[in-house]
Amino acid sequence: MSTCHQNALACGTAATTADSAAILLLGHPNVGKSVLFHRLTGAYVQVSNYPGTTVEVSRAPARFDPTAMLLDTPGILTLPAHSEDEQATVHALLCEPVRSIVQVGDAKHLKRILALTALLAELGVPMALALNMHDEAAARGIAIDLHKLGEALAMPVLATVATRNEGVAELTRALSQSRAPRPLLRYDEATEEAIAGLAAWIARAAPHERLLPRGLAVLWLGGDSVIERWLHQRLGERFAEGRAMLDAAQAHGITPARLARERARAAEALAGRVLTRAATQSPALSHRAGQWVVHRFWSLPILFAVLYAVYLFVGVFGAGTLVDLLEENLFQGLLNPAVTDFVQAYAPYAWLSDLLVGQYGLWTMGMTYALALILPIVTTFFIAFSLLEDCGYFARLSVLANRAFALLGLNGRAVLPMVLGLGCVTMATLSTRILHTRRERLITTFLMALAIPCSAQLGVVLGLLGGFSFQVVLIWLAAMAAVLLFSGTIAARFVPGRRIPLVTELPPMRLPLLGNVIKKTAARLQWYLVEVIPLFLLGTFIMFVLDRLGVLPAIIRAGEPLVSGWLGLPKEASAAFVMGFLRRDFGATGLFAMGARLDPVQAVVGMVTITLFVPCIASVMTIIKEHGLKIAAAIIGVITPFAFLVGGTLNWLLRTMGNL
Amino acid sequence: MMQPTSEAGAVPLTSLSPGSRARVAHLGERIDAVQRERLLAYGVSPGAVLTLLRQRPMTVVLADEVELALESAVARQIRVQPC
Repeated sequence: MSTCHQNALACGTAATTADSAAILLLGHPNVGKSVLFHRLTGAYVQVSNYPGTTVEVSRAPARFDPTAMLLDTPGILTLPAHSEDEQATVHALLCEPVRSIVQVGDAKHLKRILALTALLAELGVPMALALNMHDEAAARGIAIDLHKLGEALAMPVLATVATRNEGVAELTRALSQSRAPRPLLRYDEATEEAIAGLAAWIARAAPHERLLPRGLAVLWLGGDSVIERWLHQRLGERFAEGRAMLDAAQAHGITPARLARERARAAEALAGRVLTRAATQSPALSHRAGQWVVHRFWSLPILFAVLYAVYLFVGVFGAGTLVDLLEENLFQGLLNPAVTDFVQAYAPYAWLSDLLVGQYGLWTMGMTYALALILPIVTTFFIAFSLLEDCGYFARLSVLANRAFALLGLNGRAVLPMVLGLGCVTMATLSTRILHTRRERLITTFLMALAIPCSAQLGVVLGLLGGFSFQVVLIWLAAMAAVLLFSGTIAARFVPGRRIPLVTELPPMRLPLLGNVIKKTAARLQWYLVEVIPLFLLGTFIMFVLDRLGVLPAIIRAGEPLVSGWLGLPKEASAAFVMGFLRRDFGATGLFAMGARLDPVQAVVGMVTITLFVPCIASVMTIIKEHGLKIAAAIIGVITPFAFLVGGTLNWLLRTMGNL
Repeated sequence: MMQPTSEAGAVPLTSLSPGSRARVAHLGERIDAVQRERLLAYGVSPGAVLTLLRQRPMTVVLADEVELALESAVARQIRVQPC
């Protein structure tokens, strides 16, 4: 994967694969580009049933043609591109050695597909059109005359169902015959004149190696800022000439909206000629399910039932049954004594056996935490998460969350990064790129760093607190919700800018495909283990060294007033907070391991504090990358004292109100 | 094809009841430019026929097989003619 830095647009400095030609997969959000990418390359990228899963361009060699690189791009709802993920797509179009474009569309939405085709066809790049999810369109009584559409556009048009590999072989064959399509429309007289003038100027001043000046002119007149930056960087001062022409055209009413309207009209006319619609059947079960989950009365009971089911599966089954089996029976009962005996018999030095099997031993702490405690918890969590993600439930949460999010200065769209944050806050920080304004991104990033626990941590929370009762879990949940609302309300006041009301697409509910759920869970687990085992070992090693040097006991003593006095926790819990600096889940696991020695109030206070506590190193790095050092420092500077403040207050509240 | 639309008889989208269909008369002036573009991209433009799915907790319409959730600040601005 490569990162497109929006500010450093100049092509060539960005990571391009200069040697091999690029085939670009491009289209609206949530139409299955990433599934198709997987089919065509064998490389796995995360796919989900909601828009915005892909926020960066991914690349992999094409299976069917070793000379070509396939590029999976973030979905574009409209050109001009607004959000950063959309801009990455336009950037790829400009800067990659594009040999051909495969436009992927949801066959149900032919008009929308063709409105985008109308733009792309002007670029003069060979194209093919894949009408994906053809099965869903057919189920809705929509039939498209592929041959007629192909003739009209002068390019290959194929029906595909990427998730079932249907039509994919035909698509690869057609790619070898892909050619520059016929433009879909002529704009009205005045617009054409403006386009021709601007195109002639671009052709003289800054011709593009692959893209036609006319296509660039249409994009620029359409208001695309990426094209504008590209021209500006190439031309320097001479850019003003073109800008003056653009301004003049816009002053004469050649506006982005006018061009978009004409394209929409042409797309509708063409769609009308090739599409037939059978009488619609009664709404499918999936459609009705989609309505229930946003129903004014049923939505909340359903949400609660979903949460409870996740709690039962992850908290009770994963963190309870499975952990007991692995930790108590396998590790504490069998493996650890055996390993300990072995090491103590053969290790030549006492410190070495301490390092391996002591209190902060690489095996007895690091590997036991990673494999016996975390692994079963995250496995069950990832299975539950993948199921919910693929059936399309998460996207619908934006409807339920919108009102609450309005208080935070956000709209319901921000629910997606936040829910993704439950998987991994680091990845979710990247996915805030689907939000439209910097303000929304900042607020969401801050709230995620503060109060959204990542999968392992959430699992540990469910495991520890679920061991007491569901009520204790609810107290933790309520504390998190209160913190989110409180700090979000304040953040919304401080971060400048205005709130944008919600307009969002709700993807249809679908039955999750078992294959995809398994593949996704496996990919996430693999990623998790590769990241977590070295870090847990490193963390254990640091703890070991700190302990040996006498620093850890000193920290524990120094932290006692805060940890024991203010939070009311046993003084050894300090060690968990030190571990939390490395990774929040490492710290949470430290508390989890103390489980038996904590009472319910201590458990919930400890977990609330450690959930709010500093985000893990990886996510801090991502925040620095996306927003800069200053903002990252400010976020951490606010979060750390705040975590202890909330934890202590909760401790006081719970103690005053009586016991649990 | 586009039908001639007029202001006569046009009501805000928020006043329709679930299950009813209506033709978009015009998008209000007060809709944010970015949201207007998104609406147009989803095919919510004058002449388009929408099916109203629900009003609570938020206006949800079916526009050409796409389910769209619209906050009331936006939905109030969209004027439609019931059909």
